[in-house]
Amino acid sequence: MRTALVLLLLLAAASAVGSLLPQIPNSPERVAAYRIAHPVVGDWFARAGFFDVFGSWWFALTLALLFVSLVACLIPRSRAMLRSIRQRPIQAREIDAFPLYREVVVPGDAVAAAGTARRVLRRHGYRVAVSDDGRAVAAEKGALREAGSLVFHWAFVVLLVAVVIGKGTGYVGHATIVEGQTWTDAAFNYDGDLRTGRFSSGAHTGIGIKLIDYSDDFRRSGVPMDFTSKVELIAPDGTPVREDDVTINHPVSFDGVRIFQFGFGWAPVVTIRDGGRILYDGPIVMGQNAPKGVNALTVPWIGFVKLTSLRPQVAIQLELYPDSVAYFGGLLSGGSPQPMTEANAPFMRYTVWQGRITDPSLTSLDTRFMHVTSSGGIGRGWTVDLSSGCVVSGGGASGLPEQVAGTACEPGHRSATSMSFPQLRQYTRLQISHDTTVPFVLGAAILILLGLIAAMYSSRRKVWVRAEARDGGTVLQVGGFALQRKDRFDEAFPKLVADMTDASTRTPIRPRQEVGAR
Amino acid sequence: MTAADWARVSSDAFNAALFAYIAAMVLSFAYLAFRREGFHTASIVVGATGLVANVVSIVARGIAADRTPWGNMYEYSSLLTALIVVAYLVVVEWRYHVKTVGGFVFAFAIFTMAMAVSFFYVGPTDLQPALNSYWRQIHVTAMITASSLLGIGCLFTILYLVKLASERRAVAALGSGTPPPIVGGSVDADLDDDAPPDYVPGADEPVGSGAPAPPARRIALPPSATLDRLAYRFIQFGFPIWTFGVICGAIWAQQTWGRYWGWDPKETWSFITWTIFAGYLHARATAGWKGAKAASIALVGFVSLLITYYAVNLWIAGLHTYAT
Repeated sequence: MRTALVLLLLLAAASAVGSLLPQIPNSPERVAAYRIAHPVVGDWFARAGFFDVFGSWWFALTLALLFVSLVACLIPRSRAMLRSIRQRPIQAREIDAFPLYREVVVPGDAVAAAGTARRVLRRHGYRVAVSDDGRAVAAEKGALREAGSLVFHWAFVVLLVAVVIGKGTGYVGHATIVEGQTWTDAAFNYDGDLRTGRFSSGAHTGIGIKLIDYSDDFRRSGVPMDFTSKVELIAPDGTPVREDDVTINHPVSFDGVRIFQFGFGWAPVVTIRDGGRILYDGPIVMGQNAPKGVNALTVPWIGFVKLTSLRPQVAIQLELYPDSVAYFGGLLSGGSPQPMTEANAPFMRYTVWQGRITDPSLTSLDTRFMHVTSSGGIGRGWTVDLSSGCVVSGGGASGLPEQVAGTACEPGHRSATSMSFPQLRQYTRLQISHDTTVPFVLGAAILILLGLIAAMYSSRRKVWVRAEARDGGTVLQVGGFALQRKDRFDEAFPKLVADMTDASTRTPIRPRQEVGAR
Repeated sequence: MTAADWARVSSDAFNAALFAYIAAMVLSFAYLAFRREGFHTASIVVGATGLVANVVSIVARGIAADRTPWGNMYEYSSLLTALIVVAYLVVVEWRYHVKTVGGFVFAFAIFTMAMAVSFFYVGPTDLQPALNSYWRQIHVTAMITASSLLGIGCLFTILYLVKLASERRAVAALGSGTPPPIVGGSVDADLDDDAPPDYVPGADEPVGSGAPAPPARRIALPPSATLDRLAYRFIQFGFPIWTFGVICGAIWAQQTWGRYWGWDPKETWSFITWTIFAGYLHARATAGWKGAKAASIALVGFVSLLITYYAVNLWIAGLHTYAT
């Protein structure tokens, strides 16, 4: 057991390292920053696996050793336990030598008195054994202590195994779904952060999740109150099964996966035309780069359209203000931007870049080989000319503050490349996880707790009784001791003896022959 | 009364409680120094008054925010303090009649409250939706109860070590060749011995201490065996509750974040603390690790508890950063 304990403390020490250093699975960008700030130490840490403590081989090894050590220790303990339960309590010779000892005189013959003592002990929860002559009783209780301890430790082993199997064969990742779109559970559809267990077969369920509607609710302060994704769940063969609401603290289970509300964002629908040809048409999933400590709701959303088929290639950077009234209203009245919690005269600033696109990412743009050709603003329902920046249609009726409303194109203006912004949708980010052992982990955790309490609050006690006939009555010698919680037994023991005396006095003394005659 | 009024009541009551605890601490230390029964009585009365104010502050805060008032670090700290003082008054004063350690308990309560005001104060506001779950209430209640019990246990461990050292010094000062006659909790044969068979109150006082006149102003802590037993009792009580709290936290995490365990710093440190106290409980049952050695494990556990409670919120980023 000591080895197991040392291994457990080693795991604790390792997890302390894991909580103090940034970890790749949680915050890869912080790991990168750390390695730039501390190149030499960072390199050693990386080699030692300190940036992924919980996925490192030595963490797994310690876990495996802990498992082996626990099992190796528990098997003999369990055997001994089973043996001792089957064993009858053994009679003692010198009862008066025990720490607690009483002598009482009771009426009746010795065998009857011993029988009464046996009954009283049984009523108090003792396991009892009566000697061959029927005049002595040996009793003990408190097997629950060792049993509880064994349950606790075995449950801990089960917990370890269940966690390893669950995490090892499961997967967890995030799915981004724009309102109206359907997402299918397949490895390449995840947001690029899919984490698959070591022993996973790599198979996914193939279920579909269609986002019917996303809604949220904020207090005026900008504190979020609720996020709800109304989804339609679709079986792998394409049949819609049911609709459900995924909200915070209310995940939805479907076909072996659990779906959690994780995040949300805005997805403006944009159409880009080159003359009559449509270059792009669809929603753009936007992200945010809110500085630390700034309410993200007061920060514009950023997204990109990359037109790689054009020569030279074109990228359009979009900056969305979902509630331009709150944002610009706050700014223009000399205050700070107000939280943008709902769509209200949505507005985007755009910047058109030309040159060579080096990365396909839709959340960032490498502008090293690009230059700006035009920029401007576009409101919902507008169409703008991307080459000159003027507003082709829709600019007038926007309700935007004057300063951000663009300038209309000259009458008769013919634009080569235009962009329109017909609608603003929202997207939801759902966390999709597949973990088959969760019920086992929970069960094991409950057993750990029950075993712990049983082991801590029960105590082993032993009692011996011998009855000897004297002067027409019987002298009961009662001795005993407790292995734990001795002060409690000091109180319980006199009561036990008193109970025996009472029982012997009260029970009509039935001669043994009468019993035999029946 | 409006929410703002209730918020002010809560704030005023908090301050009243803090000052009452400070007064109770001073009175309790005065009792140690001058051994006048009046100081002790006054300390208990003032401390209990502080407790009432503390509870009023918590309730008023709940009314002001219109939710259970344990949603951020400030509120946790206020609740933790109340539970520490309740546990002290009920168990230590009432059940065990130990009069000399109140000052240390109040000092711990004051530290907790002062930290809350200095670093964690926020107005009674709404909660993030993730915190809006009944598992939050169960989890947080369990964690704070366990923290207060383990905290008091560790306080007694510190006092035990202090007393043990002074007893050893007293024995050494006798200069006789007698072996250190320190018996009691430190030499128990079993895991949770409440009183060894040979335990007599005062038996762990140095042999012959009655002969030379005791120093006039000795700090009269209870015998080390009593302190050790109290420490063990509190930790033993707190450990399953801590376990329960961690399990509830995992259930809540499974509901909210989609995983029951994710090595978030707060989760990690609650596991570390659990492990260390598990080590302490095992050490108590292991020959050669009792007494001061086991106590030192409990102290490491206390440090880990403080890291879990404070450092994770103040310095380590994670999902549990409710302080801001």
